Amino acid sequence: MAVRILLVDDHPIVRQGLRTLLQGRGDWQVVGEASDGIEAVEKVESLQPDVVVLDVTMPRMNGLEACRLIQQKQKNKDSGLEVLFVTQHDSPQMMREALDAGARGYVVKSNAARDLLEAVESVSQHRVFTALARSPQASG
Amino acid sequence: MKLRILLADDHEIVRRGLCALLQKREGWEVCGEASDGREAVEMAKKLKPDVVIVDIGMPSLNGLDTTRQLMQHDPQFKVIVLTITDSDQVIREALDAGARGFVLKSDAARDLVSAVEALQSKRMFFTPRVNDLVLAGFLDKGHVVTRNEAPNLPTLTVREREITQLLAEGKSSKEVATMLNLSTKTVETHRSNIMRKLSLHSIRDLVVYAIKNNIIQIQMPAQNHSAPETTVA
Repeated sequence: MAVRILLVDDHPIVRQGLRTLLQGRGDWQVVGEASDGIEAVEKVESLQPDVVVLDVTMPRMNGLEACRLIQQKQKNKDSGLEVLFVTQHDSPQMMREALDAGARGYVVKSNAARDLLEAVESVSQHRVFTALARSPQASG
Repeated sequence: MKLRILLADDHEIVRRGLCALLQKREGWEVCGEASDGREAVEMAKKLKPDVVIVDIGMPSLNGLDTTRQLMQHDPQFKVIVLTITDSDQVIREALDAGARGFVLKSDAARDLVSAVEALQSKRMFFTPRVNDLVLAGFLDKGHVVTRNEAPNLPTLTVREREITQLLAEGKSSKEVATMLNLSTKTVETHRSNIMRKLSLHSIRDLVVYAIKNNIIQIQMPAQNHSAPETTVA
């Protein structure tokens, strides 16, 4: 199934790295990029992606706030959109906050090369995927 | 002949992004990738790249000390430092360490190719912030800020700085000894010398010193988020 992905990170070089990884899957498409939470919320509205790959620490609006806002706006749309955090925060507490904010997945940046494809695959099928630095864990 | 570049960053995702950016240029190749400073020094000695790009905030051996070790091994190495911050102290330390390029990570997509081109042409490349600082030093003191005069800190040897980082990252003397192929007794001696030189009394003091002096970096929480993190980046 084609998966349409929006990449959100304030560092263009990280977005490029994520894009390079995702290109490994020919049936997935990066439909847009955003560099902060406000831009992410706007682009979700205009592009209607299936998966938003979202950083936590960003200027103007951080990823947690953006995630809450995106979920709030999607509530009545039945869009099937899912949020996957890719962050430097290797912390169970931050992971809980991300899931509380409505995310379906959580991956640590230092392990993104290992976990990202599996995580996108999982959340695009509405399954939870969480992985701190030591071990990935996917569940239905 | 191809321009050979060695990349050192602890995040593979960043290395992927940098590779994609640099390899778009015809005639450039990434000849190696290192995930910490120690690996970068070993790979640079072996591969002899034309340009080395090092992240400042790497575990085990940070980018500034990596640069110092590279310059100590061969002053002809051309090093570009990648950093998330352009504070005066970091800029001064990068210049002092011998870096010929200084690029903010947030601007890497825009500036890194220009920086490599500059070094290739035997020039230096710094962000505008660095130029401002050098100019301010020139105007204030009547001369440009030069090596060894900016940081007003007790002088640690390269080995002592290396051990300071490892101890501040939470490693025991025994673990440090294994990593550096030294005896535990030698590491303990270095440790005592470090504590004496810096007038520190505990590992906690050492961690604070290492953070304040950019030897290790802490992971900052998201904005407006209540729980600060103290993980070593």
